[in-house]
Amino acid sequence: MAELFFFIAGIGAIAGAVGVVTLRNPFYCVLALVSHLLSLAALFLLLRAEFVAAAQVIVYAGAVMVLYVFVVAYIGGGEQPALRPPVGRGQRMIAGLCTLGLFAELMVATLGSGLKAIDSEGAPYRPGFGSPAQIGELLLTKFLLPFELASFLLLIAAVGAVVLARRRGGVGEAGDERRMSALEFARGPAPLGVGSMAEAAGDIPGGVDAESSGSVSSTIGERGGW
Amino acid sequence: MTPKAPIIDWAGLSPLVALLGGAVIVLLVGLLRPRFVREVIVPLLALATFATAAGLGIWQWGEQISLISGALRLDQLAIALMWIICATGAAAVLLSWRAVAPREAAHGEYYALLLTSAAGMLVLVAAQNLVTLFAGLELLSIPLYVLCATEMRRETSLESGLKYLIIGSVGSATFVYGLAFLYGATGSTDFAGIDRALNSSSLVSDPLLLTGIALSVVGLGFKASIAPFHQWTPDVYEGAPTPITAFMAVATKAAAFGAFLRLFDGALLNAQADWGPALAALAAITIVVGNVGALGQTSLKRLMAWSSVAQAGYLLAGVVVATKLGLQATVFYLAVYLFMNIAAFAVIIIRERQTPLGDDIAAFAGLGTTAPLPAAVMTVAMLSLAGIPATAGFIGKFYVIEAAIDGNYAWLGIVIVIGSMLSLAYYLRVVAAMWMLEAPEAPVSTVTGRPALAGGDLDAPAPGAGIEVYAVAAVFGVATLFFGIVPSPLFDLAVKVGSSLTSLF
Repeated sequence: MAELFFFIAGIGAIAGAVGVVTLRNPFYCVLALVSHLLSLAALFLLLRAEFVAAAQVIVYAGAVMVLYVFVVAYIGGGEQPALRPPVGRGQRMIAGLCTLGLFAELMVATLGSGLKAIDSEGAPYRPGFGSPAQIGELLLTKFLLPFELASFLLLIAAVGAVVLARRRGGVGEAGDERRMSALEFARGPAPLGVGSMAEAAGDIPGGVDAESSGSVSSTIGERGGW
Repeated sequence: MTPKAPIIDWAGLSPLVALLGGAVIVLLVGLLRPRFVREVIVPLLALATFATAAGLGIWQWGEQISLISGALRLDQLAIALMWIICATGAAAVLLSWRAVAPREAAHGEYYALLLTSAAGMLVLVAAQNLVTLFAGLELLSIPLYVLCATEMRRETSLESGLKYLIIGSVGSATFVYGLAFLYGATGSTDFAGIDRALNSSSLVSDPLLLTGIALSVVGLGFKASIAPFHQWTPDVYEGAPTPITAFMAVATKAAAFGAFLRLFDGALLNAQADWGPALAALAAITIVVGNVGALGQTSLKRLMAWSSVAQAGYLLAGVVVATKLGLQATVFYLAVYLFMNIAAFAVIIIRERQTPLGDDIAAFAGLGTTAPLPAAVMTVAMLSLAGIPATAGFIGKFYVIEAAIDGNYAWLGIVIVIGSMLSLAYYLRVVAAMWMLEAPEAPVSTVTGRPALAGGDLDAPAPGAGIEVYAVAAVFGVATLFFGIVPSPLFDLAVKVGSSLTSLF
């Protein structure tokens, strides 16, 4: 039974991976990636790593893939022109040869060493090893520091993402002044052109259009901001 | 069975807590409205944080303890490297005081990223557990990717950030793959456990272990820019804001070599017969590639990037031999590398802000007559990087070569000497440009060295090089000379550090 399950999941994983790189439509690529990740989760279950399997489904096949689908939906998932790498024939030949060489090397290494273990028992299984309960305990005892560092890493990654995303318009010193402080936020109406939700929805005219439409000030005055 | 909570030694953990807490404070203070707070108080707070962490290190000096169930090791090696990292961080704060990058990225965020990166480096050099090691590597790298791209209106800065992100991710992935193999082969994530497993069994020729070693060498090699994993270095160093380049060049190298020392000379010491020759070959390749690559460069930041590749080769020689002398030599060289590199980068920043030529070597023509003081500092830094006697670089190189010969790698010592001879060609070119060329009459109109700003214009007033940049240049330049003539304080420090890895002799 386990063997059957292994081969189904294994074939699913490989087919999914091949699909990701060969399919032309990005939407199908994402779906192939989802099937690849689900098959991987099944393989993890076979290894009795329930936590990793669940994390794989929830985080990767779930959350991350939903993000991918959103991105594909935004930028348009239609037929994209095939990407042609800007390299000549000779370079592609060399790349192919290198790939072949690497493949042969990997085969030699795998056949020479890895397959020896196929008939053996494998690593001993200790009941409870890798179970969610044990992982939770380890995260709060032995691996407390890496766990906390990971939380700090997420914080600083979010800060970094904001830093990179905020100034895409290329605003300089003037933009600096337009940035809202917490105090100003509490005080009341936002200045024009700060990209507030009301601007995006068109309720009040945004910064760039402000000059072109004549009745900005009166509109703002009536509405009392956003 | 109720799980036992780990003992948290707050005193030992205090430098790390100081850096991370300082990052949060800087981030929050950066949100305040007044311009004075953002542009003066925030950098001052960042400086104070680095000073606090270094001071707490002085307080903890001499301790040899494991923290939080073996996640970190606080010993002289960790503290000495933390001083190097904090000094680099403080210099980077001063160098970016009037720079464009913090204004573009908002001051609070910029300095918080810098502090977090330094905290990640501290974790990396103190880690004695594979999981902590990887967490430290990521905590170091991710803020740096963002920092490289903080001059957002300059295309090359964005390019450098993206390149560093992609190549750094490949390095991280390779590294974690290697760590997984090491865990698989030895059955332990603790360095002590790995050491025990290698000691007690015939694991040394196990393919799993060898694969793990090879992959983790590649991963750390990416971070330390060891050839052939160095290709990103010139592009990223050239594109990043110069203060960040200085920080990356010194602190990242110190952190990566700290990890090298602890992982290879500590945990994997019994497998030295496996990785020793491989690392020695990599060191030799790195020295040759770095020095040859630097020969044709005209951009000084690219030149420093190639030079840092070559220096990584010299440093690797101290790791290869796996002796106490090698450990001491590596730490000594890292300290020396801090002085000479920061001095050079400070002068590069001065010229970058004064001339439209950017970091091109032409910006240095005739500097000896127009501004003798920066020219003198640059000269000292270049001579020290080349390893001329009476500078600290000479003592450092001498120490490394001595360690190589003592550890039966005499041929590697010869490669280092040959590499230094090659390096004279490009270091002296800079010196010659400063003292032997005429200063250009009028400011050159063709703006070659300074890349065009993406979507921006140049009408913003160019930030001048303030007193703080000159101060950094002077302090680190004088230190380069001082420790070249009186190296004994640094020697004593290195000898004390040598006692932290007890398995070496």
